[in-house]
Amino acid sequence: MKAVVLAAGKGEGLRPYTEKEQKEAITILGKAVISHVLYGLKKAGIEEVVIVTNEHEKQIQDAINVDIPFETVRQKRPGITGAVLDGMDKIPDDEFLLAFGDIIAEPEFYMNLMNSYITGNSKAVFSLVPVSEGMQTYGLAKIVDNRIEIVNEGSTLALAGAYIIPKGDFTDILEYFKKISPFSRYFIWSGKWIDIGYPEDIINAIEVLLSDLNNSIISDKAEISKTAVIGKKVIIEDNAIVDDYSVVKGPAYIGKNAYIGNYSLIRDYSSIESEAKIGAYCEVAHSLVEPRAEIGSKSYLTYTIVGREAKIGASVITVSYPANPVRGRERKLGALISPNEEIYHGQIISPNYRK
Amino acid sequence: MCGIIGVISKNDEKKLATITVQCLERLEYRGYDSVGVASMEGNELEVRKAKGRIDEVVKRLNILSMTGRVFLGHTRWATHGEPNDINAHPHTDCTNSIAVVHNGTIKNFRELREDLESLGHKFKSETDTEVIPHLVEEFKKRGMDSFSAFKSAINSIQGSYAVLAIIKGENKIYFAKKDNPLIIGLGDKMNFISSDIPSFLPYTNKVLILIDGDVGYITPDEIYIENEGKKVNVLDRIKIITWDASAASKEGYAHYMLKEIHESPRAVDDTISGLISDIEDVKNAIKILEESKRIIVIAAGTSYHAGLYFSLLLQREGFNVIPVIASEYYNIKTNQEDSILAISQSGETYDVMMALKEFKANGSKIISLTNVIDSAIARQSDVKLYTRAGPEIGVAATKTFTSQIAALQFLYSLIKGDDYTYLNKAKDVIRRSLDFEGEAKLIGEELSAKSNAYYLGRGLSLPFAMEGALKIKEITYLHAEAYAAGESKHGPIALVEKDFPVVFINLGELVGELQNNVQEMKARKAKTYAISVNERLNTDKEILLAVEDERLSSFAVTPIIQLIAYYSAIKRGNDPDKPRNLAKTVTVG
Repeated sequence: MKAVVLAAGKGEGLRPYTEKEQKEAITILGKAVISHVLYGLKKAGIEEVVIVTNEHEKQIQDAINVDIPFETVRQKRPGITGAVLDGMDKIPDDEFLLAFGDIIAEPEFYMNLMNSYITGNSKAVFSLVPVSEGMQTYGLAKIVDNRIEIVNEGSTLALAGAYIIPKGDFTDILEYFKKISPFSRYFIWSGKWIDIGYPEDIINAIEVLLSDLNNSIISDKAEISKTAVIGKKVIIEDNAIVDDYSVVKGPAYIGKNAYIGNYSLIRDYSSIESEAKIGAYCEVAHSLVEPRAEIGSKSYLTYTIVGREAKIGASVITVSYPANPVRGRERKLGALISPNEEIYHGQIISPNYRK
Repeated sequence: MCGIIGVISKNDEKKLATITVQCLERLEYRGYDSVGVASMEGNELEVRKAKGRIDEVVKRLNILSMTGRVFLGHTRWATHGEPNDINAHPHTDCTNSIAVVHNGTIKNFRELREDLESLGHKFKSETDTEVIPHLVEEFKKRGMDSFSAFKSAINSIQGSYAVLAIIKGENKIYFAKKDNPLIIGLGDKMNFISSDIPSFLPYTNKVLILIDGDVGYITPDEIYIENEGKKVNVLDRIKIITWDASAASKEGYAHYMLKEIHESPRAVDDTISGLISDIEDVKNAIKILEESKRIIVIAAGTSYHAGLYFSLLLQREGFNVIPVIASEYYNIKTNQEDSILAISQSGETYDVMMALKEFKANGSKIISLTNVIDSAIARQSDVKLYTRAGPEIGVAATKTFTSQIAALQFLYSLIKGDDYTYLNKAKDVIRRSLDFEGEAKLIGEELSAKSNAYYLGRGLSLPFAMEGALKIKEITYLHAEAYAAGESKHGPIALVEKDFPVVFINLGELVGELQNNVQEMKARKAKTYAISVNERLNTDKEILLAVEDERLSSFAVTPIIQLIAYYSAIKRGNDPDKPRNLAKTVTVG
């Protein structure tokens, strides 16, 4: 079976970040969001993928590090419906897997979708997932008789972003879903699942992905000072440098060639991506530092996302509460710093600050 | 639901019996009350079958010693006709030359059977399936070739079916499919045909999923399919399973438990329609209950909570009902004027069996409610009633509990003289509750981080508080206790401190009193939760379920308490399908 993966959204919940970088290209634990999807699709036996992109096509192509045949197409027709139609044009089969490129889930999510399809003897399968925050941000569905009904409210089951549907002629994808739902199946996905739509989703994704880790995985090629302290749930990749007296308490991810400066503390679900630099005397918690970003010394990052090649000056303090994230269970949210942006030295940045 | 498998090999494969049995073991989730195998080699056709679970029957009948190039296997879940050696599949014709396994229901089998008997056919079993081999035999007798005879037989039957047939001397397995699953597996010099893919997945990942109306045959190296009289291009429909599909029998769900919770609407509906079709038995049961001086309800675990609910309903109508935990049966002396209602999902619960033995000896009349047709407990009873939830694989009872509630509420409504048709809406009430899965998940995940919890209820809510606490103990391993809410201040409240979780079950009655109990708990800084029907308790977190007909409130609450336990268990990384130290059927004392 072939898949259409959508990666042409505007990323409104992550603006202005997404004006510079497509959200599917954001790297979490060394893997772009879209690669998390493609990895799952490959595990589910998908042979070929058509990725629908926008002007950030190149970013998506560069972000893929999964060995699966794919081609990208530029979206021509408008909206999600247009994106599906543009991708579907490349599908020769009667049925295909439609996946949203901004979902982080275990490969079993996609495998179970295929399982439901092959056991069900029906041309369409919908995956649903239970949600409890930011209900208005999801496409919801109710179970009526033995099928689903797409609704705007009155349910806590969200469309989970991977479906098997027959090719068809439609002008509105949700209307099409409604049309095919009488002869489709559904299943509830109860495993890990995050729809990357808001900064809190990214923070949450790091936590969810690292929560599975039972032991630390440290590359032989990493350069770890004898005086550094490494906690129990830490991944450190090749050629990363953890300098004297720093503490990677974890759970945390330290990417390839990343640098953790002297006396710095990396704790509680933080991901420092490849070639990022954390200066001396820093503290990082619940934060994502994207590739080649630099954090000046004596800075404190919490519930914060720092984009690719962004520069945070020395002694920058992010404040995470009180904040009211759209989907977060906690009332905490720090800063969202877009790729290539700079934050001047000594700034104290208020919750939910975006640049 | 039943599981069927056919295996056909080019070579004289000595291991074919072993392969067939292994396939059957993987199909056991589809049913496990009886099992049978047919093997054929040239002009030798042999059938071995018996009531019992696969491993036990395979051993007893020495099935692994069977030889041949063609095998059929069947694992049964009886819906009509008791599970016994004769009713087990495969079924054969008068001359033992045609063997058939079938998953489904043939609606017009009575008429067909009468016609065939008038033509001289002799039937051995009570099953609907047996008409198929006799029909094939009859059409062959009239001069048709085997395939035409098989097709004519299929055209004669109405209902749902996945059917496999073998005919002596033919190295072929005939098949037909409508409404029940059937899948071909294309192996190396060996082909499979089965109810599901995982059963044969260790041998081949090349599959062909049959669709309704498909009829044809497989040989060791050929697949032939027709649909509506036209030959199907087989190559177009072959698929390669390139992913690990060993979990495919869960149909997309991560666990049987969640799948089974979602099957509750159908289980309840099938239970009600099953009781309507067995209405004479229901009437007999009601007569016994009404004429007895005392009604003793015995059950264990989850079934006890269903029994307690029923007891409360009848006590409110002035009946003298005593709910008894089965293992504590020695505390009550029954007599001829008592009636016993025994409730057991498996129908084999040891404690219930022991109690029944004693009560029967005392001369008490016995009514049973089990989920397995003609179970051991059913056989001990004067009246046998059934839930029709289908096989349940998750160890923690979910859809079978909801079905017990449905069956007992049906009984209660008839006793009260109510029109029972309101129960047709039970399935919709359950479905509405399933839409609250996200909120149940949130509560479950919060509870998973705690080490103790109280579940409180009043009146009819109490059995559901008890069931909620049991469920979360069973699969989350969280210490949870249920109390009558008014009882909590007589002791249990001493344990309540800041953030101690207290879950209130509120079926929409005695709401004022429950609200007082919530305030008591809030005053101790407990973290309060409620699953409420129609009226709020104003707890810290509350799932409010709207139910038009308050008699159906229990169906709204039940899936939520099950989902809370499920999500708290998986948050802790537990396997809810196989909780530690627990067995599905408790056959020890």
